[in-house]
Amino acid sequence: MKLMSPKAFYYTVGKKNFFQYILFGIFVLFFYLPLMNLCMLAFADKYEVPAIIPQKFGFRWWEFVLGQGSLLSSIATSFVLAAIVTAVSLLICIPAAYALARYNFKGKRVFLLSFLLSNAYPRMGLYISIGILFYRLNLMGTFVGVIIIHVLNSMMFMTWIPSGAFRGVYRQQEESARDAGAGPFRTFFRITLPLAMPGIAVASVFTFLGSLEEAQGTLLVGFPQVKTMPVELYGVIMEYPLTAGPVLSLILIIPTVLILFLMRKYINADNLSQGYGMK
Amino acid sequence: MRQKTLGKLFPYLLILPSLIILAGVVFYPIAASLLRSFQLEEGGWGLDNYIYFFTDPIQRRNILYTLQIVIVTVVLAIGISYFLAIYLRFSNSWASRMIGRLYLLPRFIPGLVAVNGMITVIRDSGLINRISRLLGMNLQLGLMYNGKGIVLMNLWFNIPFATMLMAAALSKIPDSTIEAARDAGAERFRILRQMILPLTYRDLFVAATFVFMSNISSFTTPYLMDGNNPQMMGISLYTQFNNGHYEKAAALSVIMFLFSVLSAAVYVYTNMKENEWEKGNG
Repeated sequence: MKLMSPKAFYYTVGKKNFFQYILFGIFVLFFYLPLMNLCMLAFADKYEVPAIIPQKFGFRWWEFVLGQGSLLSSIATSFVLAAIVTAVSLLICIPAAYALARYNFKGKRVFLLSFLLSNAYPRMGLYISIGILFYRLNLMGTFVGVIIIHVLNSMMFMTWIPSGAFRGVYRQQEESARDAGAGPFRTFFRITLPLAMPGIAVASVFTFLGSLEEAQGTLLVGFPQVKTMPVELYGVIMEYPLTAGPVLSLILIIPTVLILFLMRKYINADNLSQGYGMK
Repeated sequence: MRQKTLGKLFPYLLILPSLIILAGVVFYPIAASLLRSFQLEEGGWGLDNYIYFFTDPIQRRNILYTLQIVIVTVVLAIGISYFLAIYLRFSNSWASRMIGRLYLLPRFIPGLVAVNGMITVIRDSGLINRISRLLGMNLQLGLMYNGKGIVLMNLWFNIPFATMLMAAALSKIPDSTIEAARDAGAERFRILRQMILPLTYRDLFVAATFVFMSNISSFTTPYLMDGNNPQMMGISLYTQFNNGHYEKAAALSVIMFLFSVLSAAVYVYTNMKENEWEKGNG
């Protein structure tokens, strides 16, 4: 026990290292312990007080969750939806992002502020109001309605982050392509777009993952015709929070962790935070 | 001539698709909701829906409770994030590198998953309680069904986000500038106060604004972790809507929106000021 005492540890690793360990320890405990605990509990068949590690491991709750028939089809729906939303959002936002980066036009600031406006209004209040509009347009319970909601949620990142990326592309590079005889479209697609790709990739990841996990708006606008994975999962989590919850949570974060791992080259603070300043 | 008008119109053409979507699902619904908030349930028009939220003792308590939680969240999240970002920027230790690699993940974890995970750790029969029993204590954290747990959860969501913004801002300060100041004999605290803080205070306000806005209308966290009374405004909005009080729900949305706009005003003001300053320098 003497070895475990903080004092002994302090003198063993030295003052500087001691604080590194403490800081790193607090960080991991706070941010990763809840997630790791979920992973463990997902495989618990029996977990009663006061056991720290489940008395019995197994796949009982996996069988229960995967036995909920409609789950697999809802996973497919979610991925198709997320792919469409990302494509649509790119088509709508990339031109606007380019305009914001390269042109000065009247109303630019108002346009930038309108994204802030959509973020400042409470989501639920906005969804309710959109719902009333969708009723009139017969968009309630349709795939198109859900796509519109998801695109709306993605617009701020999809415009701000690529806009920052476009701003980072030197004009001289574009100009030299033009001097070499390339037309404006060729310059954009062969020079500007590839150079801005890291920012656009990060924004797309954001949109794809955001769409995968969106539940509130989908529930209000698409239910019960459009059932995505989170909508289905939220329903089960509300009913069986402590038993089925960890299994479903794991199913929900597997795609997130996989995509983040594949895109890890692009995911960094500089890429993610572009556009928050209003210039 | 025609070429010139076309050139002037071109940026508007580029933002047109965005504008159409924004008009359809942001501007119009907000305007409709604003109009609805002045409609009375028994017919006619008036301010009664607003007056209700500021005079009814339960509703007033909800508003104060929400503001209290959000302000505590903003202050703690920004303070801790600033410290963490400075550590990530200027320390080259193994801990700093590891945290730098790991701190962005929570930003992408679905809200419900994170809340669920935190509950399994902090609830009265959760992991921490079970570990404390092993050590012979019976530690009851008392973090569930009150504001403390919500603040804790808000910190989980917002520290990575705010740290990310700060880290990006700090990475723009070149090493050479700091070294020059150090060579001139400035000690650490002075470098922080007179150099780093002035260069990054704008980003502090940006982060604070976004933390404020995303927490004032939060729903998932209080829905799963909070008690019944007082309620946060996001829950109260949901209750109004579910009970069919659409006009009151609209009024509450507008009230929450106004609080957000107030915090956004700080953001816009600091941004404008910076831009004026830049103009002065050519």
